[in-house]
Amino acid sequence: MGVLQDVYEMLNTCNKCGGCHTACKTYKLTGAETMVARGRIQLIKAVADGKLEPNQEYEDAIMSCLLCGECAVTCPNGVHGNELVMAARRDLKLKKGIKPFVKSFALNTLASPKRLDMGFRLFKGMGKSFLNKIDGLDYFRGIDIRNFPTAKKPFLEQVPEKITVQHPKHKVGFYVGCFLNHALDQTAHSVVKVLTKNDCEVIIPKDQVCCGLPQYCYGDFETAKKNARKTIDTFLDKYSDAEVILSACGSCVAMLRHDYLKLFADEPSYLEKVKLFCEKVVEFSEYMEKIGVDQTKLHNSTPLTVTYHDPCHMVRGLKVTKQPRQLLQMVPRIEYKEMFEANRCCGAAGLIQAFYHEVSTDITDQKTQNIKDTNADLVATSCPACMLRLQGGINKVGQKQKVMHVADIMANAYED
Amino acid sequence: MLSQAVVKRLKEIVGEKNVVTDKVGLLTYGYDGTLLSGEALGVVSPTTTEQVVEIVKLMNEHDIKLVPRGAGTNESGGTIPSEKSVVISFTKMTKIHEIDTENFVAVVEPGVINFDLQVELAKKNFYFPPDPSSFKASTIGGNLGECSGGPKCFKYGVTRDYMLGLEVVLPNGKVIQTGGRNFQSEPGYDLTRIIVGSEGILGLVTKVFVRILPIPRAKKTMLALYDKVEDASQTVADIVAAGIIPTTLELMDNLLINTTEDFTHAGLPRDAGAVLIIEVDGYQEDMDEQVKTIGEIASKIAKEFKVAQSAAEVDQIWTSRRSAFGSVARVRPSYGVNDITVPRSNFPKAIGGVLKVAKDFGVTIGVVAHAGDGNLHPLILFDQRNKEETETVHAAEQALCMMALDLDGTISGEHGIGLVKKKYLDKEFTPAAMEAFRKIKRSFDPSNRFNPGKIIDL
Repeated sequence: MGVLQDVYEMLNTCNKCGGCHTACKTYKLTGAETMVARGRIQLIKAVADGKLEPNQEYEDAIMSCLLCGECAVTCPNGVHGNELVMAARRDLKLKKGIKPFVKSFALNTLASPKRLDMGFRLFKGMGKSFLNKIDGLDYFRGIDIRNFPTAKKPFLEQVPEKITVQHPKHKVGFYVGCFLNHALDQTAHSVVKVLTKNDCEVIIPKDQVCCGLPQYCYGDFETAKKNARKTIDTFLDKYSDAEVILSACGSCVAMLRHDYLKLFADEPSYLEKVKLFCEKVVEFSEYMEKIGVDQTKLHNSTPLTVTYHDPCHMVRGLKVTKQPRQLLQMVPRIEYKEMFEANRCCGAAGLIQAFYHEVSTDITDQKTQNIKDTNADLVATSCPACMLRLQGGINKVGQKQKVMHVADIMANAYED
Repeated sequence: MLSQAVVKRLKEIVGEKNVVTDKVGLLTYGYDGTLLSGEALGVVSPTTTEQVVEIVKLMNEHDIKLVPRGAGTNESGGTIPSEKSVVISFTKMTKIHEIDTENFVAVVEPGVINFDLQVELAKKNFYFPPDPSSFKASTIGGNLGECSGGPKCFKYGVTRDYMLGLEVVLPNGKVIQTGGRNFQSEPGYDLTRIIVGSEGILGLVTKVFVRILPIPRAKKTMLALYDKVEDASQTVADIVAAGIIPTTLELMDNLLINTTEDFTHAGLPRDAGAVLIIEVDGYQEDMDEQVKTIGEIASKIAKEFKVAQSAAEVDQIWTSRRSAFGSVARVRPSYGVNDITVPRSNFPKAIGGVLKVAKDFGVTIGVVAHAGDGNLHPLILFDQRNKEETETVHAAEQALCMMALDLDGTISGEHGIGLVKKKYLDKEFTPAAMEAFRKIKRSFDPSNRFNPGKIIDL
């Protein structure tokens, strides 16, 4: 009862005006009141009031939320639907635990570097070739698994712990994150390239772990805290000379910068250290804009039309929207075109794409249509999860656009 | 509970996914924008007129009532399920059949969201004038059921004035079409205008012929700021008396300025007693003259008068105004909203009346109003969990209704009667008029199957 009582005043502040109907993609595409902030909030309140015993339908309502945060922006009362859903997930975890499938396959694997590494090796070795043999299994629950990229070996095994430059002006700690380490290692290299081209020495601790966001989102605060503590201690104790802790994943940055503070709110003895850590965390485009990029070093001879997709954690979590667009437009011969609803969720939403694939596939289809309407050649974004989702969605409908990280597009514009 | 046979049949009609009978699903269709709630036996979401007909026939066979519902954002309890009823949700009938710019007509399904229609119309440089504050969420079906108004009503009229024809499924399962795409009224009774505003108690609308207009060439948005809400109301009366008809003439008091400002940061001055949002539209050449005249009238009393300089500024102002209801839970968690309306010339007296009620009953009232229409939305703020306070609020609401009637006004300008204002209806109408209402209801729906208990008791 405690978790929901803590947020009860906010639950009670929803006055059911329905303003969130327009904000919520899961509602727009299903027309179901259980799939919108107002409905979810009324259900959580019913549980808090003891009028409803959590059952499967309740779990579906709570677990199908994208946590995109758009409802919080739209609510005239300032009710944060996403935070209430998080509280409900925590409450469910405490009352009923996490479903074995979610826990063992997704959360525990992500949380442990060893298991994650093994998972990717297995997927590369057996899984992928096995999947390729099955006709019609190009898409598993709307996810383009046949084209799902895997790094030859994890990025962290490919690079030294310190990458120096001739005239270092800055020292940057690079928090790589699971996706860049195991799937999109090229993007991780792009980040390093752009940093070094701008006189940054890059420190890449080998023993970094998952930021804890996936576990946190499913209410498993214990595991999330374990990983958070490891991350904080690694960067602050062993690599304290790093001026900033940079990540090219908007979701990781939001977790490292904002959610760590919430996770440790009940641990005052450690909280000061957490604050110190959070203040050092920066997102890639945010940092590049801050230190200033020398535009004269950027070269590109191919005219390209580029559009940008705002990841949820970037636009609503970090409120970073201008910097990635500015960086893109610094590259010569790039024509920038804004897409319709650039700031709306791509449908990936962590594990939602696997567990509630029908609605997330519809969301992705809308996104790919909006991309198509811009006639862009490239789609840029700032989150590896969005990159994979968008590329898969684009492939599925037979469109041609290539999805790249802002760092990739910039890196291509530097001479080697 | 619905019998297995009925559920099976419903699923055959609309498909498995479009029938809800589980507790969680039913809970989310038990409320609307009011503080009331109920629980239906089931929720069914048809996608075609034929399905609606089949549902009506099935419900008749089993003597189950039907409660029609759009987005469920209404402020009168009109979609609260009563006993032994199934909610028929139109949110999946969202087709825009046709936009006919030559004849100024659009043909839409009832579940189309007002805003979504506006977006499609704007692509062709047209718009649909009725724009209730809930327009981003509320449906055309819901708008016509309640006969919604909106800021533009002052110049352009309410939903009723834009309904050219309807396809309606009657309680006996038969389908009729009223009106159509012709602008002249239909021969015989004007059934369209009986159905519009009938809150779903006479028939279920499955297709709507709406009148659309070209977007005006130019518009100007002005703000007049006042020390006191009474002062603002005097400008309203002065503008009307001068024979000027702005598109909108909206009023918000200090409380609403502050709650909306917390949300939008539009830059409305938090210390102002009231603000009037005045908009004019028409041809570019007329704008300066209209702004000048309104400025002269307003400046007699207003402490400040200004014209919005950018489209972004205008957007912010309107976001503030539209979020007024939604934003008040920042002050207290519950609110009761009225939509009492008085003849325009009585508007200052009505404002005085609202202030008196607030004082007499010791309640907090925020005032937002479509001032040009004489349509007030006093929002009484409280906490529903406090029983004593809730009682006081109900008494204050009744006093507001009586005050409006004393000023030759009405208890409801645009939100409908539903359950919330049912108890005051016979204060406004004579017993003979009430009986006429009942006779009309009985002639359409002799078995009282559609949205029973709303507006009137039989």
